[in-house]
Amino acid sequence: MSGAPLISVRDLRVGFATEGGLVQAVDGVSFDLAPGEVLAIVGESGSGKSVTAQTIVGLTRSHNARIEGSVRLGDAELIGASESELRKVRGERIGMVFQDPMTSFNPVYRIGSQIAEAIRAHRPAVGRDEAHEQAIALLDSVGIPDAERRVDDYPHQFSGGMRQRAMIAMALAVEPEVLIADEPTTALDVTVQAQILALLERINRERRLATILITHDLGVVAEVADRVLVMHEGQIVERGSLDEVFYSPQDPYTRSLLGAVVRIDGAAPLRPPRTSEPLLEVTDLVKHYPVRRGLPRREVDRVRAVDGVSFSLRQGETLGLVGESGCGKSTLCRAALRLIEPSSGSVRFEGREIAGLSRREMRPLRREMQIVFQDPYASLNPRKRVGQIVGDPLKLQGEASGGELRRRVLELLDRVGLSREHYDRYPHEFSGGQRQRIGIARALAPRPKLIVADEPVSALDVSIRAQILDLLAELQEDFGLTYLFVAHDIGVVRHVSDRIAVMNAGRIVEEGPADRVCEQPSDPFTQKLLSAVPIPDPRQARARRQTVGSG
Amino acid sequence: MVAFAVRRLGEMVGVLLAVSVLTFLVFNVIPAADPARSMAGKGATPQLVASITEEWGFDDPLPQQYLTMMEKIFSGDVISYQGQEDVVDRIVEGIPATFSLCIGAAAIWMFFGILFGYLSAVRAGGLLDKVLTILAVAGISVPVIWLATVLLNYLAYKTGLFPAQGYVGLTEDPLDWAYHLILPWFTVAVTLVGLYSRVLRSNMLDVMSEDYVRTARAKGLSERQVMTRHVLRNSLIPIVTLFGLDFGAMIGGSAILTEAIFGLNGVGLYAFESIENLDLPPIMAIVLFGAFFVVLFNALVDIAYAYLDPRVKLGSSAR
Repeated sequence: MSGAPLISVRDLRVGFATEGGLVQAVDGVSFDLAPGEVLAIVGESGSGKSVTAQTIVGLTRSHNARIEGSVRLGDAELIGASESELRKVRGERIGMVFQDPMTSFNPVYRIGSQIAEAIRAHRPAVGRDEAHEQAIALLDSVGIPDAERRVDDYPHQFSGGMRQRAMIAMALAVEPEVLIADEPTTALDVTVQAQILALLERINRERRLATILITHDLGVVAEVADRVLVMHEGQIVERGSLDEVFYSPQDPYTRSLLGAVVRIDGAAPLRPPRTSEPLLEVTDLVKHYPVRRGLPRREVDRVRAVDGVSFSLRQGETLGLVGESGCGKSTLCRAALRLIEPSSGSVRFEGREIAGLSRREMRPLRREMQIVFQDPYASLNPRKRVGQIVGDPLKLQGEASGGELRRRVLELLDRVGLSREHYDRYPHEFSGGQRQRIGIARALAPRPKLIVADEPVSALDVSIRAQILDLLAELQEDFGLTYLFVAHDIGVVRHVSDRIAVMNAGRIVEEGPADRVCEQPSDPFTQKLLSAVPIPDPRQARARRQTVGSG
Repeated sequence: MVAFAVRRLGEMVGVLLAVSVLTFLVFNVIPAADPARSMAGKGATPQLVASITEEWGFDDPLPQQYLTMMEKIFSGDVISYQGQEDVVDRIVEGIPATFSLCIGAAAIWMFFGILFGYLSAVRAGGLLDKVLTILAVAGISVPVIWLATVLLNYLAYKTGLFPAQGYVGLTEDPLDWAYHLILPWFTVAVTLVGLYSRVLRSNMLDVMSEDYVRTARAKGLSERQVMTRHVLRNSLIPIVTLFGLDFGAMIGGSAILTEAIFGLNGVGLYAFESIENLDLPPIMAIVLFGAFFVVLFNALVDIAYAYLDPRVKLGSSAR
């Protein structure tokens, strides 16, 4: 810490009046932040970390919000400041970067004009052309190649990492003193995440910004933070330097949070070798999407989403499939399950070729292979009760009805750690972790042999993540399930898999036993993937940065 | 763009073909009086009826009659059965009144629809919102024919504030033109103002919870800039679709009732008369005229879409 604090938060309380009474989102939070310092606020969703950050700039103000306490920026008090005073603070003195760079840009305006808008909001004297020039310089400074041309792109024409760079450029447009980054890398691939963290660190160093980094990922914290606050249920339960919090945590919650992290470098649980027959055998599977142009529409190119993939999956085994978004892993799963039609190749399920089967012939096989989806929010029908969601597969397959159906569903709910009262509730009444349990119960209902889990935990908080992974492992033991486990997080995959296949650009570039792939990766892409995973251990992170150098 | 135009042109031909065949068939299926007989007049000799039938081709096979009709319509020399007028001339005569009614009403309904929708979204839950909501629901619920007769009765016949009937050309006397059209404009616009303000209000409330609106606030934009540049701009995209459909349909015949009640000598009134007389040639021509505008405005909506939302590309995706 150096000098007087730039931001000083004292006993901040934010409550929201709801139909169910006052929800105290932030409950007495105090901290200081000096220029040049990176303060990480860590916590799970609902811990109040984002509300804290947004309250600093008055973004949580609404008719049902009760905000008390004090936030001082230099000499100015921000709680109770007028909207017009706050407007001068937003963007001008405090820049903000949000989680999802896709939805945080307005899709109908060009990137450059959105940055220029931020400049002109505070510098009315700056003309349009000048603001445009400044936007180009800003984009260039955050590492957007060919900024002169890309400045006129729309947000959807940028990749996720570039959008987040542009978001950072926009936050820096008027040279603020404070940067608040609210889960800036959560929506990004791990290799892109590493680049964005490096960028944030560079900016912090160069501009002596006071940075507040909000995240649920302890790995991210270990990479960049100076000091850490751990938030739980609206309160700060732990505060200290990076090393203090990681190596001598005082609060039980912090300890459980650290313990729940699935570490890439940790030993995977030991599993007995599986030697039984292959359940699923995929050979030379190809899925191409034609790109048609012209008149008459001619195929001019094809997107090789899956480009000749072979693997086999033995009964009771877990194969982890890792790759960045867009590498074709989801397409591969869908083609292997015949949810989409493969362009060519063979898929054998229990020795039977299913690639050419008709819809009708596939139907009885469908129950044998179930899928658990990534987004527990979007993949459950909001208008159906839990009992229906879980029971429908049984009813559709004509397996059970009436009292028998209800009994089986209750049993399943019990099995995945939900209770009987949940039978008549709707999905929106559940937390993310509970929803994923519903999704798992739904997949288990027809007693499948194969479960494809497509990023089943990437939308979940760390501690919930560990619970769901444990549940999946338990179910595997009890039911002798076979998993194809898809994720972009190689740490998670290692934790659950017997073998790992690494996918890049539609092909499997490396396959082998989980430990071998993680410890002695042979393919450069696997090495890149592994080295980009943030290690939730400040000393190791520092050591790695020293060896790698500042990239 | 070329592919888009070609596809749209193809669609237009298809729609016009389908609509014209259907209209033609409907007319020939309903138990209408023999057109030859009604043309010959009361107490005409069978010979006269026979010769009219012969001359107009009423006993040709239906496909033959259809083709002759279409040929006449597209070459512009189609003659009505009733009074043997030049149909195209009559339609062209009616266009100024119909367009004046539709364009004027459109300007009113868009202006007030957007204004009321914007105000009630910005003040959602407040008194103004509640008042505007009641007005909008009332406007949507009121039947056009009731509104038109009430307006006519009180504002025209009883008080004489407005003229009751007729159309004055824009070039003859712009003031008188507007004076004659105020009541019809209002009649047509009222339902749509209500509808558009409700749609815009709910669009805006949805957009307000978007992440990019939070970003706009975090940049330090004023509340008005946030509302107009980010919320309103993005909420208008679905309104444009609605407008294209409604405006096309309006020219294509939705304003018939209003034209008839207010005695505006437009295409709608002509359609009204022709249907009364079961006069096939003008009905066919007017149906094609209307369908043409519906399809045209649909294409314009797509073009506007690509302009308003850069993620939409003309010609690609869509299917």
